[in-house]
Amino acid sequence: MASKTSKGLTWYAATWRLPNLVWQFLFFVVPLAFLFYLSFWLVRNYRMVPGFDSVNWVKMLSKDYFWDAYYFTFCMALVATVITSCIAFPCSYGLAFKTSNATRRWAIFFLIIPFFTSYLVRIYSWQVILAENGVINAALGYLGLNPFIMLNTVVGTLVGYLTLALPLVVILQTLSLSNIDRSLIGAAENLGCGRLRVVFTVIIPLAKIGLIVGAVFCFILSFGDFVSPYYLGGSKPPTLSILIIDTTKSGQQWPRAAVVAVSMILTLLVVAFAAVTAAYRKRT
Amino acid sequence: MTATRTTSLFFKSYICLVFVFVVAPILASFIFSFNSDRFPTIPLGNFTLHWYKTIYHDKDVWDALWISVTSAISVSIIATFIGFCTAYTDYRYNFFGKSAYLALALLPPTIPLVIMGLAMLAWLSHIGMSGRWYSIIIAHVVLCTPFAMAIIRIRLAQLNSSAEAAAWNLGASEWRTMGEIIIPFSLPAIISSLCLTAAVSFDEFAVSWFVSGLNKTIPVIILEVLQGQVDPQINAIGTFVFLTSMTLVVIAQILLMTRHGKGLSHE
Amino acid sequence: MLKKAKRQLIKPTRRKVLKLGMAATGAALFTPFIHRSWANTVEINMLSWYGLAEPDMVEEFEAQHNVKFKPKYYAGGDNMLAALSQSPPGTFDIIHTDAEYARILIDRGDLIDELNPSDYPYDDMLHDDFTKFPGHWKNGKLFSVITRFGHLGVSYNKEHVSAEEAMSYNVFWNPKLKGKVGHFDWHLPSLGEISLLNGNNNPGPFDISASAWGKVKEKTLSLKPQVKGFFDYGGTFSSLKNAEIWACVGIGDWVTGVLEKDGAPVGSVVPKEGGIQWTESYSIVSTSKKKDIAKKYIQYSLTPAGQVRSAGMKAYPAFAVTKSGMKALQEQKPDEAKRTGQMPGVPNNPITLIKEGRIHYRDIPQQQSLEEWNEFWSEYKNA
Repeated sequence: MASKTSKGLTWYAATWRLPNLVWQFLFFVVPLAFLFYLSFWLVRNYRMVPGFDSVNWVKMLSKDYFWDAYYFTFCMALVATVITSCIAFPCSYGLAFKTSNATRRWAIFFLIIPFFTSYLVRIYSWQVILAENGVINAALGYLGLNPFIMLNTVVGTLVGYLTLALPLVVILQTLSLSNIDRSLIGAAENLGCGRLRVVFTVIIPLAKIGLIVGAVFCFILSFGDFVSPYYLGGSKPPTLSILIIDTTKSGQQWPRAAVVAVSMILTLLVVAFAAVTAAYRKRT
Repeated sequence: MTATRTTSLFFKSYICLVFVFVVAPILASFIFSFNSDRFPTIPLGNFTLHWYKTIYHDKDVWDALWISVTSAISVSIIATFIGFCTAYTDYRYNFFGKSAYLALALLPPTIPLVIMGLAMLAWLSHIGMSGRWYSIIIAHVVLCTPFAMAIIRIRLAQLNSSAEAAAWNLGASEWRTMGEIIIPFSLPAIISSLCLTAAVSFDEFAVSWFVSGLNKTIPVIILEVLQGQVDPQINAIGTFVFLTSMTLVVIAQILLMTRHGKGLSHE
Repeated sequence: MLKKAKRQLIKPTRRKVLKLGMAATGAALFTPFIHRSWANTVEINMLSWYGLAEPDMVEEFEAQHNVKFKPKYYAGGDNMLAALSQSPPGTFDIIHTDAEYARILIDRGDLIDELNPSDYPYDDMLHDDFTKFPGHWKNGKLFSVITRFGHLGVSYNKEHVSAEEAMSYNVFWNPKLKGKVGHFDWHLPSLGEISLLNGNNNPGPFDISASAWGKVKEKTLSLKPQVKGFFDYGGTFSSLKNAEIWACVGIGDWVTGVLEKDGAPVGSVVPKEGGIQWTESYSIVSTSKKKDIAKKYIQYSLTPAGQVRSAGMKAYPAFAVTKSGMKALQEQKPDEAKRTGQMPGVPNNPITLIKEGRIHYRDIPQQQSLEEWNEFWSEYKNA
């Protein structure tokens, strides 16, 4: 194999290498770069004018409502990440260590199902389930309990984020947990380690990469989603993605929406980079 | 012994709870789609096929379905092709800037869809390619290629690395080896990738909403109904989309499960 | 060796599965298309609010002229402008929009065609204002033809708010509505209503001085503790229906009318401080190649038949703009005419309300920039 790979770039090699390069450059890198460029354009009389002016950046970054939305979105995504990871872990642990291979495979198959049902439809269902006279509160009513207000609150938004991210996080966690070498766990138990201690000192460190990757995906999905905060959270307060849509809806301010978008991308890059560094850092 | 059984029971019920949460909205939507009330509440109304009839007689829904299906098929073919090329490149070659190359291949899912939609629309309309029949295809290929690449790469990792070299030693050209060894070996993954990317494209709404123009797909219609005249048509369409996507996923799963990792693989 | 390897790779079982799978997918996906029964027709592309090109509005016209409307629904005027500027020229034939955005279309100069007033029944209008509606005309030239309108005021749940309470915008601040007030997520109607509450009715709620604007902002912010959420059309709709909210700012019968007809205990009134009018019109896109049929459709929508359909539109009802239209409504749908006050001699007759000076046409802010109102709205949502 080495004899053929050591050659320079042949036609054969280029054939396989170029499609991805060309397509993702033209339709992924360039649009994002263009979005960045767009954030320096101006809007005159509801029309975008090419330019190179930092006014949109100055304007957006000096607004309290931008920073309020930023902190709110960041905190919500963080809370969603922590909650989702915590809810997912016992499930993944159970799937990885307490069930047979066949069961696990079927479980993962069932967890893939939600990816192929419309997210919008699921959110609409939650609206009906969570509403003040919805399914859950009707059930609480039969039990003689007071209605619990969930729709159009932060709780609603979080349910939406969970709907979006939980299946993926469970899958990623389960995969990394089931790859752990069982003999290490056995060794720890033989040395007299308690069950919980094994989980925290052996299993979690060994599955660290999978756990962090799951968390990062959860953060990314929650940070960028506009459907849950709008349709389950009542847009109160708006998140950054709602702010993007609001900004494009108000006076054709696409350049300012681009400012918000670029800030979001930068934030995600920093978070993802920090997380990946943490995941691959050697334990000292 | 009882302690183990208790913990085992605990985990089993916990897993069931998580699945209830995951399945609840899907099941609810299925039930609401047969419910006569326009705004479903408890207790439910009568059984009806009204919402299915409504969408059956709506030409816009059929047009959208046609666009969704043709886009999904085109996207799956292009994305799987690019994904295969990328996976093979990663499997076979080492070159300067390979990590940047892989980043380019795998980064798209990390960009929020609203932003992808915004950027796509801004760029495509700038070069006069927005609102065309191919706009959605272009955007979805970007989103789907990483999934295709990942699926095929996982399969290639199971290919015994000496198989390709052995073929060359027997005098086969690189192209012939590709056609007779690599592609047949990757075939299950290629087919899974076709199904999965088609399903991802079939269900994507945010980017489509931005770039579709008049060429609306099914998820865009759902978003419009949700923003406009909310009614259980959403559930009827949703149930239909669900069944279509599931057909694709089940096929993919069957193909992945049969003969998993046999033939020329390591095991 | 190659052949052996190949044989190992492809087992007949997988082939069978594959074939079966493909056949199943193919059958599942394509069977419905066999049933397609729509003949080849001319397609008219319409850019409009949700519902304008649904069958209940266009089926009669489609059948008469063998055409098919293909809608792109937008949510809000800015959304409409974006859709227009980001689509290739010639994409749309006809635009349905609000008066304040029709004005923007006209100001752009090359987007929509000048129209001939004598093509349309301007002698049949219910109110003189409609014949020279601001935003539809520029320098005496007609660009956009009025077809429907409606009034915004207090929308409320009749089980929790009395009709007397609803007669003032102050009801939104009522302690019993804490956490039960919804906003339609657009600044113009909500801020306009609060401006009216502050007494800005001369010249109007959108033409206010800096100090009056400051007071509107202050008053609006004081409402925030009462607010449940900010909703689009669909959200307003379901929140009112499932009693998530008991009162809503910035909407009117165009939302509650649909729910009322569905049996929900909700309604809308124009309170004593006055109400705001939304006004919708059709324009023909300059780059369209189907201008004749587009013109015919505008004419159709002003016939009594078109007006009755518009008044009872499933997505959101409106008032008739022509005398013959209102008369036809009274004859064909007396209940609907009665429900909406489109009858002679009732106090909530929309034309009477306009003549009494209690209605103000929705507009963009005159003394502040639209951007300033927009920004305040974002601040308010975050407050």
